[in-house]
Amino acid sequence: MAGLSLKSVKKRFGETEVIRGVDLDVRDGEFVVFVGPSGCGKSTLLRMIAGLETTTSGSIEIGGRDVTGEDPAKRGIAMVFQTYALYPHMTVATNMGFPLEMAKRPKDEIDRKVRDAAKILHLEQYLERKPRELSGGQRQRVAIGRAIVRQPGVFLFDEPLSNLDAELRVQMRIEIAKLHQDLGTTMIYVTHDQVEAMTLADKIVVLRAGRIEQVGAPLELYENPDNAFVAGFIGSPRMNFVPATVKSAQGNVAVVTAPKVGLSEVAVTTRGTPPAPGSDVSIGIRPEHFVPAEGAAAVLSGKITIVERLGGVAYAHAQIEDGNTITVESRDAREFTAGATTRFGIDPKRAFLFDKDGRRA
Amino acid sequence: MKRSWRQASALYGGLAALALIIGLPFWWVVTGSIKLPREIIQREPTMIPHSFTLQHFEKLLQASDFPVYLLNSVIVAVFSTAFTVLLALPAAYAFFRMEFPGRNTLYRTILLAYAFPGVVVLIPLYGLFAKVGLIDSPVALVIVNVALALPFSIWMMRSFLATVPREIEEAAVVDGAPTTTILLRILMPLIAPGIASVAIFAFISSWTEYLFASVLIVSDARRTIPVGFAGIIGQYQIDWGLLLAGATAAIVPVVALFAFIGRWFVSGLTEGAVK
Repeated sequence: MAGLSLKSVKKRFGETEVIRGVDLDVRDGEFVVFVGPSGCGKSTLLRMIAGLETTTSGSIEIGGRDVTGEDPAKRGIAMVFQTYALYPHMTVATNMGFPLEMAKRPKDEIDRKVRDAAKILHLEQYLERKPRELSGGQRQRVAIGRAIVRQPGVFLFDEPLSNLDAELRVQMRIEIAKLHQDLGTTMIYVTHDQVEAMTLADKIVVLRAGRIEQVGAPLELYENPDNAFVAGFIGSPRMNFVPATVKSAQGNVAVVTAPKVGLSEVAVTTRGTPPAPGSDVSIGIRPEHFVPAEGAAAVLSGKITIVERLGGVAYAHAQIEDGNTITVESRDAREFTAGATTRFGIDPKRAFLFDKDGRRA
Repeated sequence: MKRSWRQASALYGGLAALALIIGLPFWWVVTGSIKLPREIIQREPTMIPHSFTLQHFEKLLQASDFPVYLLNSVIVAVFSTAFTVLLALPAAYAFFRMEFPGRNTLYRTILLAYAFPGVVVLIPLYGLFAKVGLIDSPVALVIVNVALALPFSIWMMRSFLATVPREIEEAAVVDGAPTTTILLRILMPLIAPGIASVAIFAFISSWTEYLFASVLIVSDARRTIPVGFAGIIGQYQIDWGLLLAGATAAIVPVVALFAFIGRWFVSGLTEGAVK
């Protein structure tokens, strides 16, 4: 087991800088998830930790040892790829034993460790099969098995569930969480799926354009995002942003209005000094934080265009008066009627304020 | 996609015409080899043999130098094939995966080797081999055949390597496999069809090579089939039966090779590796 530390890590491909100085500390045994939209550099960063991409500048330490220039095999890591990357001509047992064979371990030790890993992953009866004779979920388990047998200090997962169907994805997600509980090894997991990030992570690292936007526990990011990007990325469906203007500010409360959408004064608590009166801001409201219009401190009205009823919850997509669309969640699937103009109540305590650059006010 | 009967008949008609163009000479050679001499030279050629004899094959094996030519050809072809495959694989891998200055330029220029007709390099090569004492030696033929087959083989092998998903190699790197292990234990089994294709190409190139074999080999006992057989065509008379029987017998090793290596031409070798 090992912790991990990235210091001013940068990566350049020709003229393009894809990782622009990342500093990160991962504690021993922590489950860290890198999330971000495609092209944000999350996979590149993981591959740099693995040693599959060189580091242009900065340093990478694993278990207190600088491994920046080290070969992947000597870093004490194991990696599970999105596409499984199994050796198709070898059996499950040979696939799983391959890293140990490369490390020149004795045959009986390899057999024992492969059997142990197969037991953990319920693969015992498939040991003599070839990858093509397995289902997608079983193949991914073999790939995980190949990582387990090495007893690495750090497990690296590169979007391991994106090739699986929805049901299997949920099942494998639970298995990976259990695996982390059982092994207690440091795990770094890359995904673009924020549900995976929220459910698996001890700590989420949100990346955008090669930079870390925010690091924190899942609920911390959900409840206290640093900026509009993180606020929009964490939480599903994503947060609604309504353009507004600061009318007055006092202490750490800003009174904002958005006359265009019929929103009269709302007093939103800010983190620090609120933006000066007259500044353009946006109010962030999560779909699940709307309240009944009756008795609400502020109200937005919009025409419902589409209603998605999922059973337990329903989502209304409504067009507000400035032409933007907002998403509103309700526990009562019958509350929304498509085509109706409806009033949605806002709870100012659960609203966020962002300045015009997207920073949390 | 469902084809209309017009499309289908055009397609099958075209395929049949192609099959005829390629197959007819073979049919002519094979059936000719079992016809009586007078039927072979008869004014009205017969597509279906009216007579049957094995006398040409008997003469071929007992009264001609064919067995010697055959053995020489087999030796030269087998060694040429083996060296071509052994050199093409690492060279293709280097062009495919390794970073070195001038890689792309070099890769593009290797096929330039085919821009010059063999006859242009014949005299300098003869001089070269004469200097090192390799004239009249099968080693010279092997060297020439490998040199001739290698550029295209490297090019072909590289395309096969490109079909192996990159992650498989990366997984092997993370697992601690050195480059040679990745090449021999991971990539080689996965590109078996590519290796088979290269082997067949190299074998046939060597099997049918005439120009260099006719110049670099001097003594009759070291001739390969194409050159040895050219001797059958005499100035005043051609023994057609013997020639056709020899041509038929010369096809056999190639067919056998196809049958043997054909097993490797299975699709889906990388199935189950990714996704």
